[in-house]
Amino acid sequence: MKIDVNTLGTFHEMAKEGAGAAASRLSMMTDVDAHVDVTKVNFMSESDIHAEFQDGSHYGVKVKLAGAPGGQSIVVFDAGSANQIVETLVPDSDDDDGFSEMDKSAITELGHILNNGFIDGWADVLETAIDISTPEFVRGESAEAVLGDLDDALEGAELALMFQSHIHATGEEIAFSHYLLPDYDAMGEALAAVTDRPVPAGFDYEKLTGFDRMVDRGAEEVANSVTQMTGFETGVEIRRINFVPVESIPRDISQQRQVGVAFTYDGLPSGYLLFLFDEGSAREIVDALLPSSPEDELGAMGESAIKELGNIMASGFLDGWANVLDTAIDMSTPSYIRDMGSALVDPIAIEIAQDQEYAFVFDTLIQARDREFDCVIMAIPEEGDLERALDALDTDDIGKEPETPSFPIDEA
Amino acid sequence: MRTYGADSDQSDRASVEVGIAEYAVTDDGEELSTFGLGSCVAVVLYDDDAGVAGLAHVMLPTAGGSDGESPGKFADTAVAAMVREMEERGADADDMEAKLAGGSEMFEFTGIAQGVGQRNVEAAREALQAKGIPIEAEDVGGEHGRSVRLNGEIGAVELKTADNEREEL
Repeated sequence: MKIDVNTLGTFHEMAKEGAGAAASRLSMMTDVDAHVDVTKVNFMSESDIHAEFQDGSHYGVKVKLAGAPGGQSIVVFDAGSANQIVETLVPDSDDDDGFSEMDKSAITELGHILNNGFIDGWADVLETAIDISTPEFVRGESAEAVLGDLDDALEGAELALMFQSHIHATGEEIAFSHYLLPDYDAMGEALAAVTDRPVPAGFDYEKLTGFDRMVDRGAEEVANSVTQMTGFETGVEIRRINFVPVESIPRDISQQRQVGVAFTYDGLPSGYLLFLFDEGSAREIVDALLPSSPEDELGAMGESAIKELGNIMASGFLDGWANVLDTAIDMSTPSYIRDMGSALVDPIAIEIAQDQEYAFVFDTLIQARDREFDCVIMAIPEEGDLERALDALDTDDIGKEPETPSFPIDEA
Repeated sequence: MRTYGADSDQSDRASVEVGIAEYAVTDDGEELSTFGLGSCVAVVLYDDDAGVAGLAHVMLPTAGGSDGESPGKFADTAVAAMVREMEERGADADDMEAKLAGGSEMFEFTGIAQGVGQRNVEAAREALQAKGIPIEAEDVGGEHGRSVRLNGEIGAVELKTADNEREEL
């Protein structure tokens, strides 16, 4: 399957229409307003998918899709929501282990209605009818138990294309996640038909493996830089690539005051890089880097220390990318800012929005194992550059370990 | 369908969170709020006689050749869409008053969104002037973020900064 930003725009439209339709069905069933919290087109590695299902037992209802977009559509409830659904739909249920056949069919029925909502939304966007199998109830504590064999979803690639939505019913403890794991060939054909382009342009889906290497190398370099500078034992907790409309970039960011260090970078790709620390984490950095830290505010010395760490992190991150892509990337001097989180991010979204409607957001969370220290990294490359960089990438080289990266630790 | 952010207000009072590039209109006194304006601008419209209020969180000055799918994203289309929707609910553009907040220059030196905050404010002013709507108050520019709460019943606007400083606009 060949993909480009327009193709992915259609993916996002599908995800949004489907989520809207499913939320309406949930509203009808539970008689309360249901809201779409998040709709994302994600590219997820196997370990990221596992992380989504770490938290206890999950109840899923899945259907297989014939024709476009192929693959499977799965509605997933956590245990709390499943119990609430049972209480709402089967008030007389009092099975001892908390889950009778009747409970199972209540969940299956609701899950099926919600799946149908998504599928009707996609059919509208793809201008086609989508046939589905009978619903299958699944229950388990791991990604495999709910989604099935992940090798099928990945189809040999390192990243699975996944549509993800989170929807909740206002005032009720009912929320669910939804996953679409499409069949790439069926999806490619459907997109070619709907976008009226018999031979879609863009880059091969397999080249997205290059994304995974970029994220992986960039994040590892940053974690190493932080450890070397501060002595904190850090690791990469989350790394994912979201494909989102630019206006939704600031929506996931906290309203609380954050400290940010921003950079622009220029090369293949060009774009924006932002490191965000909550106030506590910023304080940890200042305490670690300065011989005696200022008492309340972070102060000019604190600001300078955070900027310096940002500088080292950014050069490590971009070195990681440049190594994978075999290009040169130059970065700007750091810009320090301390304000409400989403207000820090909105200028970057605005900058991107002047030229494109959607963006790839490389989203990474670095955490310390020995103290309260979080760093959110957002890297947003310009789309044309990113496509060119990926297109130029030799797929045979993607899997190879890059040469030893260099970052200017000596300047620390 | 309205999209709510992760931190949407769950207080007893009916409150509608307006996301970035969105707008909302109310004729039943709901509170409309929007958070984390950096270079974006909040445009508030209120018709006291009709009791109809609107709030937009705009990102960019003008839509240009855009296909109009996201009217809340641009200052010119957001003002036009809000006025139209408010008039459909009984308001009259001649009786409306406006308030503006946001349009900061958040980043120094990097060139990120340089001057866009100012251009957003100017585009909002022009769009309002074209409709003959006076700007009753504004708190724009500077280098800090803002959040806005609009009391849809009386048209009062409260601003909040990252320091939790609150002021009536």
